Amino acid sequence: MASIVIPSGLLLGTLLLIPSLFGDFTAYQIGLFLIYGIVAQGIGFLWGKTGILPLGQTIFFGSTAYASAHILINIETLGWQLVLMLLSVLIAGAIAYVLATMVFRGKTDSGPYFSLITLALVLIAEQLASTSPNITGGFNGLSGYEPIAQLDPFGNLYYLIVGVTVVSTMLLLALNRLPAGLIARAVSDNEPRLQLLGFATHKIKGLVFAMSAMLAATAGVLFASHQGIVTPTSAGFALSAQFIIWTAVGGRFHVLGPLLGSVVLAWLTAELRDDFIYWEISIAAIFILVVLKSPGGLAEIISIYFKKLVKAQVSEEPSYCAAPNVKSQQPAATLQFDQCHLQVGVVQILKGVTFTTPAQGVVCIIGPNGAGKTSLLNVITGNLLASKGTILLAEKHIHCRPPYAALSSGIGRKLQVPSVFFSMTVGENLTVATLAQRAKWYHYFSAKPLLWRSAYISSLLAHEALPLTHNLAKQVSELPQGHRQFLEFAMTAAAQPRLLLLDEPCAGLSTAETHLMTDLIRQYQTQTKGLVLLIEHDMSIVEALSDKVLVLHQGQVLAFASYVEVKANKDVAAVYAGGTK
Amino acid sequence: MTPVFLLNLMWQLSLLAVVTLGLAIIFGQLRIMNMAHGEFVMIGAYAPIITSTLGLPNWMQLPVCIASVALVALILERAIIRHLYGRLFDSLLATWGISILLREMVELAFGRGFQSVPLPISGTVSWIGIDYPAYRSVIIGVIILLFIGLTIWYKRSLVATRIKAMVNNPELAQAVGINTVSLSRRCFVFGCISAGLAGLIIAPTAQISPLMGLDYLIRSFFVVVVGGLGSLEGLAIGVGLIAGSQTLLGALFNQTYGYIFVLVLSILFLWLRPNGIYRNS
Repeated sequence: MASIVIPSGLLLGTLLLIPSLFGDFTAYQIGLFLIYGIVAQGIGFLWGKTGILPLGQTIFFGSTAYASAHILINIETLGWQLVLMLLSVLIAGAIAYVLATMVFRGKTDSGPYFSLITLALVLIAEQLASTSPNITGGFNGLSGYEPIAQLDPFGNLYYLIVGVTVVSTMLLLALNRLPAGLIARAVSDNEPRLQLLGFATHKIKGLVFAMSAMLAATAGVLFASHQGIVTPTSAGFALSAQFIIWTAVGGRFHVLGPLLGSVVLAWLTAELRDDFIYWEISIAAIFILVVLKSPGGLAEIISIYFKKLVKAQVSEEPSYCAAPNVKSQQPAATLQFDQCHLQVGVVQILKGVTFTTPAQGVVCIIGPNGAGKTSLLNVITGNLLASKGTILLAEKHIHCRPPYAALSSGIGRKLQVPSVFFSMTVGENLTVATLAQRAKWYHYFSAKPLLWRSAYISSLLAHEALPLTHNLAKQVSELPQGHRQFLEFAMTAAAQPRLLLLDEPCAGLSTAETHLMTDLIRQYQTQTKGLVLLIEHDMSIVEALSDKVLVLHQGQVLAFASYVEVKANKDVAAVYAGGTK
Repeated sequence: MTPVFLLNLMWQLSLLAVVTLGLAIIFGQLRIMNMAHGEFVMIGAYAPIITSTLGLPNWMQLPVCIASVALVALILERAIIRHLYGRLFDSLLATWGISILLREMVELAFGRGFQSVPLPISGTVSWIGIDYPAYRSVIIGVIILLFIGLTIWYKRSLVATRIKAMVNNPELAQAVGINTVSLSRRCFVFGCISAGLAGLIIAPTAQISPLMGLDYLIRSFFVVVVGGLGSLEGLAIGVGLIAGSQTLLGALFNQTYGYIFVLVLSILFLWLRPNGIYRNS
């Protein structure tokens, strides 16, 4: 709590002092910069957490500014004015949500293209604003209306703006501390992994984009009252560009950064533009420097010095609590492939794969490089779509659904190269995995689920030899490859899926670690009585673990039998020893 | 479809093609989202003004254009761009900063107001039964020849193969002895020069101002997006769609509709076909 209340309190105190210290005109100016700062805060959260860079926030800022100008012109009663303004903010959020979910659906890498779409949209908005004089007043804009509740822009309106600024700051600071903020960060860190943990990432991006749009829209409402005039520039590209520069220079990873950037840079611009001809050039140079050398901006630099001054408190061991059960524990089920084909470009990867696994046990998949082993797992999770044939899990079709739906149908997957959240600590990684399939929507807005610990994860961490147990506070980027293997295994198994897909879990492990990993896999299988599908090259591991072995060769099933039978199979021997098969 | 309309369409197509070429190289090949592309067009357009300010004869416009744009591009590549290869998002932001930088510098040097330069070739020539400005006619011809030459060169030359190798796999390219540092630099400077030359061509037919770049940036960006990265065929298709639809709708309704249509088309492509119409390989 202190981390939210103290900065917000300091901010509130400072802003409240400004009118009496510097006079009403300065407060009027600062009021405008704070309005810009609210937009920048929204951009900062979106860009800093999820990695989406919106180039057209003035679409939302400008359109609600126009809307509230119309409301102030046409509506008499304050109550209705407020209701309609709130409605316009909500509409902005809804539009943003629909736009982002539509664009991001089925993709994990359209970040830059989404930015260009927002750029094109803001150009359209600006064009429409300046060419439809009936609605927007054309180049002259809309003016001649009273500010909201007759608040004087040079007087009391300032306090309303300060109030909204502090609320937006508290909201974002709180989100940072909640599971919702953690999931938002996970999106930009490793989207494919988050999808495999069952999160529909396009919806998460949509929600964060909607939130940033609603902050921009709220600022637009204030802007109309503050300026007393709304012109096409407030819906234009140039202002959008300013927002981005302020956010970047202020620091997009911190809640107060964009606010600081907006107020400081906009104030300096107002002061210096006319007297110092190199001002705009200096801003551009600073912006380029920030992009190249210091992506955290001013806020990062300040917080480094701040941390040197204030010694970090030694954080005590958090007290974990029992996690609720996963939403639906499904019974073990057979996996059935029937004449499954997979074609990528002109390459036929799977050519009529047919097999049926038992409902329980460990099935090892072996086969030479290029046999289609990893592609087989990709088809099961929906990362690749089978071009022909059917795949059934518990008699249900699973071959045409997106990867984020895999876990809820009971399929967990560990990738070949360990794929975890690299910018987070080991503990945070485990938290994200524990939230998967357990948290309901409201849990993301409560701090308690951050301390959830499922019985399975506790039992894993109880292994003294497990390299994670003493590294919970460590950044994943500092972990060696082998430790990441264990982390990803733990994350994949956290939701207790009935079908666990493991792609070479023992690659890069020492002999002792390999023993531990095979023990864990066997334990998982006996505990859950489910099915484990395991790709492995090391025959001693295959021998130790497998109940059955599936041999793939050139996209087809060569053999599917027990280890002993496969070992005696002449075709398999021929493939491995370079025979003629 | 009057003959004048057809010739105007040809003129618009060839202008947009030459404006976009530089971006197609820098964004399409080097994967630098060059938001400062329009500013290089703008600097090229100032070349006639620089030439006359220096008191040089008119034929010096071309060398002055190439020299000034190349100098700016070289400095920027050394100082900024070379840190941005492989960082798509950062390249967008940093080049955006560069675009502001260049605009403000030109404004300091030449002022904010509109300027114009006279046509180097005046008069008209007769084409398919109508009189058409000689300057435009000559330029259309030159650009068509240029693109034919470029297509042949791109298909056959060793440098083009090296560029393709570098784009596909920079590490492997280095391993087989391609100096990717210098190759990227030359690529970038070449792309900027071609933007500058486009500016020089446009100069007599447009109002020259520090802010003129944005429009060219946007249209050429969307050509590259619609056409697809990394091929001359894609470039041709993109130019045809963007300039064609804008000119057609502009003639049928008004400029605003043409502009908005282009933007909507681009949004649809960015959303549904982010790889463009023409996919290389």
